[in-house]
Amino acid sequence: MRILVVEDDEVAAEYVRKGLMEAGHVVDLAADGDLGLEMARAADYDALILDRMLPKMDGLEVLANLREDGDATPVLILSALGEVDHKVEGLRAGGDDYLAKPYSFTELLARVEAIGRRSDPSAAVTKLKVGDLEMDLLARTVRRGGQKILLQPREFRLLECLMRNAGRVVTRTMLLEKVWDYHFDPQTNVIDVHISRLRGKIDKEFDEQLLHTVRGAGYRLQV
Amino acid sequence: MFAALQKLLRNTLFRLSLLGAFLFVVSLFAALGYIYYATISSELRRVDREITKEIAELQTVFDRGGAARVVREVELGNLPADYKESDPAYQRTYDLGGIEEVSRAVFLRGANYEGLYIFQTPLSTVGNLAEQVVQTTERQEGFLTGNGTSFSKIEFFYRDPRTQDEGESERRGRGIAGYFKSKSTDRLGGIVVARDVEATMRTGARVRTAILTSSAIALLLGLISSWYVSRRFARRVEAFNRLATDVRAGHLDRRAPRNYSEDEMDMLAEHLNAMLDHIDRLMKAMRYAGDSVAHDLRTPLTRLRTRLESAAVELGDTKEAEILFAAAGDAGELLSTFDSVLRIARLEAGERRELLKSIDPKPLLDDLAELYEPACEEAGLGFTAKISDKTKILADRGLLSQAVSNLLENAIKYTPKGGRIHLESRRGRQGRVEISVSDNGPGIPSWDRERVKERFVRLDKSRTLPGSGLGLALVDAVADLHRAEFKMDDGLGDEPDAPGLKSSLIFPRRKNQSTEPRGDA
Repeated sequence: MRILVVEDDEVAAEYVRKGLMEAGHVVDLAADGDLGLEMARAADYDALILDRMLPKMDGLEVLANLREDGDATPVLILSALGEVDHKVEGLRAGGDDYLAKPYSFTELLARVEAIGRRSDPSAAVTKLKVGDLEMDLLARTVRRGGQKILLQPREFRLLECLMRNAGRVVTRTMLLEKVWDYHFDPQTNVIDVHISRLRGKIDKEFDEQLLHTVRGAGYRLQV
Repeated sequence: MFAALQKLLRNTLFRLSLLGAFLFVVSLFAALGYIYYATISSELRRVDREITKEIAELQTVFDRGGAARVVREVELGNLPADYKESDPAYQRTYDLGGIEEVSRAVFLRGANYEGLYIFQTPLSTVGNLAEQVVQTTERQEGFLTGNGTSFSKIEFFYRDPRTQDEGESERRGRGIAGYFKSKSTDRLGGIVVARDVEATMRTGARVRTAILTSSAIALLLGLISSWYVSRRFARRVEAFNRLATDVRAGHLDRRAPRNYSEDEMDMLAEHLNAMLDHIDRLMKAMRYAGDSVAHDLRTPLTRLRTRLESAAVELGDTKEAEILFAAAGDAGELLSTFDSVLRIARLEAGERRELLKSIDPKPLLDDLAELYEPACEEAGLGFTAKISDKTKILADRGLLSQAVSNLLENAIKYTPKGGRIHLESRRGRQGRVEISVSDNGPGIPSWDRERVKERFVRLDKSRTLPGSGLGLALVDAVADLHRAEFKMDDGLGDEPDAPGLKSSLIFPRRKNQSTEPRGDA
């Protein structure tokens, strides 16, 4: 993916750039809001990482300008203001996701890949497919190898989230936010327990394991 | 009532003002007593002196002219013209204070002497104390001595025939009774000289009543004013006591009420408030320092974690990578501790209070039950939930979820395998919504229950378990923001050494709650 990082903290920006490049992305940096807006207009990026607090032009203002132009580039907002209401504010301004500082890089990577243009997880599809695992979003059924799998509503949403991000890491925090709508990190392994239950249903009786644990990051559904 | 009285008697000011009132009543009593003494008593003494003088005069008359002279002296122009010795009206016998010799008395109408007399000789009896029932009430022997005779002071009732009214007929007299002695014979004549003191005695009685009544009124007023003053005082002292209790309970924002009268209590309130302001500033400065440290350390820690993580990813599936991941995990733990500190700091600043909304907590609690049920099962714990519907509270969904989640995680962490955890919401006392998490783990001793709500406080037996000691502090901060009560009780345990723990969040009653049976709106 081609990603534009608009961040005034040089050190932080460099870390992000390096990390993203290592993950196989092309990265441009902009150190202030004006420059960021200019660069975003000039080139066609797959995703934008936008700090909220920027010199010259505030992050939300950059975002508003972009959206006014009809530019729908997915935007991940970064902010030191971690409270939920700031998050809501950011998303309402047209952001696609919001990450509070300090974040772990794996979290940032997982999120930016999840919103990236090529992934388009919110696309209006009715069927999802990963290997021989199929999900019908309208009938709300799941089959693997033609065999019907019965899931609880929450397990269904959990699997849907993983399938929409198939091949990419989904962090525990992302799962908590997207499946449970919780914006805090529990101390215990609640998510792991839910994942292991889901795994018991979709992977247990099959030779090929689809649901992988990515150490230090989260989970990935992959053939 | 009795307890209230006891409480009142314990009040220092009440006791002091009661003592003051008592002393006032005593001095008032003394002053009025002096007035009584100076008027009534001296009037009676004056009467006694006059009588004594008269007796002495009559004695002189007797000495000079014998009984006949006395009779004449007393009689002079006093007997009616048609007076007859044989008239039965003049032939009555009276017992006058046991002076048998004074056995007959004659009532003298319109006597020159204003006093009352009986004078008796073996030949005649003269006087104006007659026709009356005379009843001696007091007798003082040997009051006046002279020439070997003894006179007694007597007080008596008599009936004045001049008074027609039955009710008023009994009048009080005061006099001296005794015998005149001639040089030749002993006890020649018995005599009583007396005065009507009814008016004086009545005035005296009235004055006595007035003294007693006014003293009683003063005592009563003193009691009332003592009570009133001490109550006002007690209220103000009570305000200070409440303030101290509140401050000790951690509400450093409370201040003593002032009335700006600049009296001692008001000045005390001002100084207390100034002191509390100072303490508050110090606490805030301390917290701010802690929060700043937490804030400033976050950036380098984040970088540390990122470096460790990317290094670990680069190394791939090696032993070194594992070590780096563990180190990154430690950094992550530190970061989340700092995050919690900052989060609590922000909650305590109360900046989110206006964001509270009226919500039904049921969906949120159902979600939490659903989220934690598998984790309980994994930990070998039984999990049950009983969540009542149609309750409304003023809350922030995210914060409340986090608080209840912290309570559930604590329960899971501390309850040994095979135990059980129960999540409940119900409308409890006075219609207040109560959300509670109960377990049958080791519990928290009652004396530690306030302490564990403080930041970084961990009980000895939990030190070996992972955790930062911030979980309950966060719950407490969330509860404070919601004006809810965070309460801990014994839980579901049956064993005395493992009573379990029940942590409850009790929300304030909402004023416009339509389903509330006893609305206070």
